[in-house]
Amino acid sequence: MQAKANALSQGFIRCHDCGYLVKTVNQPSSCPRCDSPLHARHPHSLQRTTALLLSSFLLYIPANIFPIMIVNQFGVGEPNTIAGGIVELIDSGMIPIGLLVLVASILVPSSKLIGISLLLLCAHFRWQVNARRWTTMYRVIAFVGRWSMLDIFMISILVDLVNFNGVQIIAGPAATAFAAVVILTMFAAENFDPRLLWDNQQNL
Amino acid sequence: MNITHYDACPECDLLLNPNTASVGEKAHCPRCGLLLSRPSKRSVERTFALSIAGFILFFPANLLPMVGITMMGNANTGVLYSGVVALFNNGMIAVAAVVFLASILFPLVHIILSLLISGHLYFNSPNRYLAHWMRWMHHLDEWVMLEVYMLSIIVACVKLMSLAKLEFGWGLYAFIALIVITTLLTGNLDNDLFWQRIHQLSNRNNNAS
Ligand SMILES: [Zn+2]
Ligand SMILES: [Zn+2]
Repeated sequence: MQAKANALSQGFIRCHDCGYLVKTVNQPSSCPRCDSPLHARHPHSLQRTTALLLSSFLLYIPANIFPIMIVNQFGVGEPNTIAGGIVELIDSGMIPIGLLVLVASILVPSSKLIGISLLLLCAHFRWQVNARRWTTMYRVIAFVGRWSMLDIFMISILVDLVNFNGVQIIAGPAATAFAAVVILTMFAAENFDPRLLWDNQQNL
Repeated sequence: MNITHYDACPECDLLLNPNTASVGEKAHCPRCGLLLSRPSKRSVERTFALSIAGFILFFPANLLPMVGITMMGNANTGVLYSGVVALFNNGMIAVAAVVFLASILFPLVHIILSLLISGHLYFNSPNRYLAHWMRWMHHLDEWVMLEVYMLSIIVACVKLMSLAKLEFGWGLYAFIALIVITTLLTGNLDNDLFWQRIHQLSNRNNNAS
């Protein structure tokens, strides 16, 4: 039954860029409507996603260990890590904002790393799962990723505004690592093809 | 020919009958639940109008001061691009580049592309780059992060509130208006319709020549 439902097994390829459905019998290499190269599934989806994910895991360590910004007060520098900044917000009574930053800078990136790992394992080992639920998880991961840039933008605003003789905020080395983690995980989610989850299900 | 009478779901590859959702309705994939299309009324005209508005708003949002700060008798103002400059002066070149792309360059390119595309469709004038522009715009979508930047402004202001006196400038209001416009823009842009119109235009052009 499932073989009937899949466009690919019925001899169609959907253009990734414009959504045009092309018959595979003529073996066209590019889309007749928008001219972008045709692929039934994202090329090397699992390999590319794995490579991007492993790099993000590695960079995630310096992103959390090193200071993301440094507050210089009269020559004395006070380094702030990602977690330290959140603790400071919550300590000073700004609980909703503290929680917001906690979600955007810690919960989202770490659950994204775990979520993409699970998606990769599921697609690679052909786990028999509720594909609809897993596709929803993929969608959530793809949607929330960009919101982790919150911390990076905030640093750019703080570095710019708090630049006085006595007090200065400067960006720390973790900022580069963290920005790289956010971008790499966004690319990882973009390269993962959720249709692989459906291809592997034996009984739909 | 390559013309087919089917569609396929982009996320689960289910073969579907072409969607017949009318304006105001939403078509979801019956298997995975993806929102397939949400036709909107007068999509080309609205996209064109919103792109013009967005393009105009882009300049005050980028050039006028957004936030003014007074701390221990010293005053300072922040503009959208001054954060990029400050990071660059800090030696954080990669981070500065990321902020510049996501908050300034990509939003601008996105608005210009949607202005070009909807303008050509509005005046029914074919252009051989229409499909390319459409593809670029589609790829840029995710990297336009104005609303994330807005949230960062709020968090930064809350952080500074107890330490300094803050003032909000016209740049911030223009920036908020720009976010509203770009959100409406993405909501109104009917991808299927745009691709069909682009295809029609290029076919007509090929037949004419
Ligand atoms: Zn295409
Ligand atoms: Zn589907």
